[in-house]
Amino acid sequence: MVKTLKDIQEAEAMLLNVGTLLMSSGASTGRVRTTVNRIADALGFNIELLITNRSLMLKVIDEETNHFIASLKRTSPHGVNFRIVSGISRMSWRVVEENWSIPQINEEVERLVALPHYPRLVILSSVALAGSSFCALFGGKGIELVVAFVATFLGLFIRQESLKKRFNPYVSIFFASFAASLLSGLSVKLGLGKSPDIAFATSVLFLVPGVPLINSFTDMIDGNILNGIVRGIHGLIIAFAIALGLLCAKFLFNI
Amino acid sequence: MDFINILEKGFWAGLAALGFAILFNVPQRTLLVIWAMGALGGLLKFLLLGLEINIVLASLAGASLIGILSVYAAHNKHAPPLVFSIPSVIPMVPGAFAYRMMLGCMELVGTSSNLESYLKTLAETTNNGLKAIFILIALSAGVAIPMLVTRKDTFKRIKSSVEQE
Repeated sequence: MVKTLKDIQEAEAMLLNVGTLLMSSGASTGRVRTTVNRIADALGFNIELLITNRSLMLKVIDEETNHFIASLKRTSPHGVNFRIVSGISRMSWRVVEENWSIPQINEEVERLVALPHYPRLVILSSVALAGSSFCALFGGKGIELVVAFVATFLGLFIRQESLKKRFNPYVSIFFASFAASLLSGLSVKLGLGKSPDIAFATSVLFLVPGVPLINSFTDMIDGNILNGIVRGIHGLIIAFAIALGLLCAKFLFNI
Repeated sequence: MDFINILEKGFWAGLAALGFAILFNVPQRTLLVIWAMGALGGLLKFLLLGLEINIVLASLAGASLIGILSVYAAHNKHAPPLVFSIPSVIPMVPGAFAYRMMLGCMELVGTSSNLESYLKTLAETTNNGLKAIFILIALSAGVAIPMLVTRKDTFKRIKSSVEQE
C-alpha cells in the first residue's frame, strides 16, 4: 500500500499522542520508546524518536519514498496514571497481532483517557489507610494509627485541592506536607499515645516520590542518563518540599 | 524471633502498597496481586531483619523478590511490570531514616558550642543519611534490574513472531 502524505501525518500525530500520554502517566523512557516503536513497526513506518521529560520529538519516515515528517509535542502535566500505561501497552500488542488501523488506535486511546479514576473518597481513605499502615510498620500502635490516618487524609485532600487551583506542583506538596504534619504535630504537643513521634514522621510518607525515583534509576541503567538525572532531581525537589513542610510544623509547635 | 509480629508487618506492608496502587490508579484486576506482592516483599524484609541481616541487604532482597514477581504478574495479568512493582516497594521506603537525618541536619546547623555532642550528632546524621540513600538505591535496583533483564526476552518474542510471518 502506498502511503499518502495524509497517512504519514496521521501516524505522526497518533504516535506523538501515545508517546506523550505514556510519558506523563509515569512510564519509563525505555517503555515509551519500545511501545511507540512497536506500534510504528506494525503500521509499517520507520521512526526516529527523541524523548525528554517535557517534550517528545518524532520523525516518521516513509520507507518507499523516503519522505519524512518531524514534529514536536509537549507532554501534558498529568499525574501518575498506571491505568493508561497498562492500557496502551496492552493495546500495542493488539495493534501488532490484529493489524489495527490508525483510526482504530485513536479510538482506543480516547477510550483509555476517558476511563474513570477511582472515586475520590476511595482514594482518600485508602491512602489514609496506607498512612496508618506506615505508622504500624514503624512500630506505632492504637491512637497513633488514627492520627496518621486523619493526617494523611487531610494532607492528600489539601494536595488535590491545591493541584486543582493550579498551584505549582512542588508548592502543593509543601502545603500537603505542612497540613499533615500540623495535625500530627498537634498530637505530639498533646502527648497522645506512647510514641506520637512515629505518627509525626509517618504522616507525610504518602508524598514520597516513589515513581520519579524508581523511574530515574531504571532510566539511568537503561542508558537514558539525562532523563534519569531529570527525574532524580524532580524526586529530590519533592523530598525537599516534604521536609520543608515538616520543618515548618516542627518550628511552629516547637517540638 | 517473633513470627506473629513479622506476619503482622507483612499485612501492613500489603495494605500500604494497596493504598498507593489506588493513588496511582492501577487497573482493578491488579489490586489483589499488588497487595500480595507488597506483603511478600515486606515479609521477606522483616524476616531477614529478624535474622540480624543489614537493613540495606534486607531491603534489596525484598525489592528483588517484588521485581521478579512483578515480571510473572505482568505476563499473567497483562499489565507492564512497573504497575505492580512500584506500589509494592513503596512500603519499604526509608522514611524513618530520612526523617532522622533531616532532624540531625537541623541540629548541626543550629549549634556548635559543645564539640563532643556535635560530633555525636554528626556521626548519627551521617549514619542515618547513608542508610536512607543506600536503601533507596537498593529498592530501585531490586525493582529495575529484573525488569531490564527480562525485557530482552520480550524483544526476542517480537522478532521471532515477525520472522515466522
